[in-house]
Amino acid sequence: MPEVQKPTTTVDDATKKEQEPATAKPPPPPPTPVAEIKSNVALLERAVTTLEPRFTHRVLRSLNTLRKRLDDTVLRNAVTELYTKDTPIKKALLSWIPSGSSDMEVDTASSATPSKTPASEPTPEGEIYLRLLILFHLLASPSNYDKCRDLAHETVERMQTLNRRSMDPIAAKVWYAVERVYELRGELAQARPLFFAAQRTASLRHDEETEASLLNRLLRCYIEYSLYDQADKLVSKTTFPESASNAQCARYYYYLGRIKAVQLNYTAAHTDLQQAIRRAPPPKVAPGFYQAVHKLVIVVELLMGDIPQRSVFRHPVLEKALTGYFEIVKAVRAGSLSQFQTALSSYSSTFESDKTYSLVLRLRQNVIKTGIRHLSLSYSRISLRDICVKLNLDSEEDAEYIVGKAIRDGVIEGRIVHEKGWMECGGPKGGYGPEVAEVFSRRIGYCLDLHNESVKAMRYPLNAHRKELAAAEGAREREKELAKEIQEGDLDDDDMGGDF
Amino acid sequence: MAQQNLASQYDQLKRAFDARPSDLKKCGSLLSQLKIRLIEAGLLLPQGQPNLQDLVVARDILEMGAIWSIRTRDIPSFERHFAQLSTFYTDYSSQLPPSSRASSILGLNLIRLLTQNRIADFHTTLEALPLPPAARASDPFISHPVNFERWLMEGSYSKVWNAREEAPAEEYRFFVDSLMGTIRNEIASCEEAAYDRLPLKDAATLLFFNTPSELLTFAKERGWQVDLSGGVIHFNGKNEEQAEVMPRHKLIAASLKYARELEMIV
Repeated sequence: MPEVQKPTTTVDDATKKEQEPATAKPPPPPPTPVAEIKSNVALLERAVTTLEPRFTHRVLRSLNTLRKRLDDTVLRNAVTELYTKDTPIKKALLSWIPSGSSDMEVDTASSATPSKTPASEPTPEGEIYLRLLILFHLLASPSNYDKCRDLAHETVERMQTLNRRSMDPIAAKVWYAVERVYELRGELAQARPLFFAAQRTASLRHDEETEASLLNRLLRCYIEYSLYDQADKLVSKTTFPESASNAQCARYYYYLGRIKAVQLNYTAAHTDLQQAIRRAPPPKVAPGFYQAVHKLVIVVELLMGDIPQRSVFRHPVLEKALTGYFEIVKAVRAGSLSQFQTALSSYSSTFESDKTYSLVLRLRQNVIKTGIRHLSLSYSRISLRDICVKLNLDSEEDAEYIVGKAIRDGVIEGRIVHEKGWMECGGPKGGYGPEVAEVFSRRIGYCLDLHNESVKAMRYPLNAHRKELAAAEGAREREKELAKEIQEGDLDDDDMGGDF
Repeated sequence: MAQQNLASQYDQLKRAFDARPSDLKKCGSLLSQLKIRLIEAGLLLPQGQPNLQDLVVARDILEMGAIWSIRTRDIPSFERHFAQLSTFYTDYSSQLPPSSRASSILGLNLIRLLTQNRIADFHTTLEALPLPPAARASDPFISHPVNFERWLMEGSYSKVWNAREEAPAEEYRFFVDSLMGTIRNEIASCEEAAYDRLPLKDAATLLFFNTPSELLTFAKERGWQVDLSGGVIHFNGKNEEQAEVMPRHKLIAASLKYARELEMIV
């Protein structure tokens, strides 16, 4: 079929139409990608006309599954079916879809649905959505990266000239695609000015979803190059829009947690990462993110002096990814420096690629602290020499300083008797006191926050309160009647009572 | 004209800087003139795509400036130079040929953060180093401060004390000396918590003092009770009394907060 294999810019509508009825087959039960794209574009149109961003979000939710089923022909058919007339927009869209490689079987099958062409042109949102799909499709193969970047630039320009509020959620996704392009080409740093300019505009125009997305892009940009200082400054100078979607929030909290962990602010990092886990999509849907957050959480928990729960390492999504971390946890728990060293050296490449290596290195002191705590619990008096041997320390002198520091930092209760060269350990603390209250208050605070946030996150349908009002009115009416009846009944009762 | 001026002054600075012992005063005056020239040429904070050769010269001047500030013991000036250099080290790292002084200056900056007890900044800077974590151990200029930090955090103070002589460059000495002051204070606070009493002689070795008189002045500063006849220092156990006090305000504030939140829920 030479007509179709020609460059797509010249594909003629008429020839296409002729082919379709000839090869028409009943559509398979799940909607073909083309049909899905078309219905999505229709949904977008509805979103614009009804001013209801919910439809747009629904469309974008299906983006990931749809993305895997895209190919050249699907996209080309979708475009040709959506744009009936030959407009510059259609031409521009078609020019970006790679030509050639057209597999006719797929072609005919997917375009099989008898085209009930929409009466009017799709909205600009629809156009950008199609561009987004093409972007994702181009991203799938490395040979298209150059083309992809050009398309990304053109799309961004187009969005900015269109300047429509209803475009906000789609624009956020487009920016994600822009970032992917730059990242895959390994020149993420060059995209920074572009993101900054766009972030400024977005925040001025209150495009909150876009702004959230761009802030995440910028943070990723910095953290990719380990520029935590700049990332921290960016966070302190900007406010993350409250109404941003959960996916963006999760990412943002993850980056925040990362920055704070590097700055040794472990408690704050831990809260942020917990937020990230809670906001993240379910582990099966986004395993990569889930794993990345958990890796960081485990290290941060260890640095805080806690031991992560065993169940985390049994989670089907996490089990494999966390093996290295599991070894480290075991070493810290046992307080064995040698075990820690072997785990560190055997999994160093994993930690380095996860960018947690330097954080894990910091755990060394925690291993020592746990070791000393173990000793202080099991001995009432132990010589510095023995501490040295048990913890694999280099010299007795070191042991003395280390124990002294542990006592000062409140890790253990005890005294050093220098003349005799031993450490006397005080009894363990009772389970009552201010610190218990503190732990409780932390937990209670967490629960209250959770409650408040879930209240805030509830969605109420528009105008629903009217119905409720009406219902309440009716209920009141009924109540009145009931009261009346009761009154009358009372009277009856009284009457009856009188009879008795 | 301006370019020529720059070049000749740059040569002068190089000669003055490399001379042993280097002429600090001359370097200083040359440096301030050179920086004005750099600003005129738009190279102090380069933007866009300037000539690479010019950038190398500018970086060299600033590096010398940074080292010069340490030799003259001017820390704020070092900080300024380092801030100006960071543009060259991060943004132009892929285009410029690597500088031989870069790692020593980065290491000096790390030590500076350590002596100022800015541990969080220390770690952010360390993360931003253009080296993979494993390579940090092999670079003597970087591994020196990194080891210092680790030993300080574990409490292996004697290792820090012993490593003070192993400074990889002359300039490290300056920071290391001020670091020793910090360490002494750290050790002293540990001793206050960990010991009831300590013989004078042992205290001196623990705190790295050579003469008893140094120890006595130090003990006075920290308010320790020195029993000269028995040769023992007594530490006041003041921490224990403080621990017994109930944090009343905290508890009341927390209870009020719960009450308010519950009110909101119910």
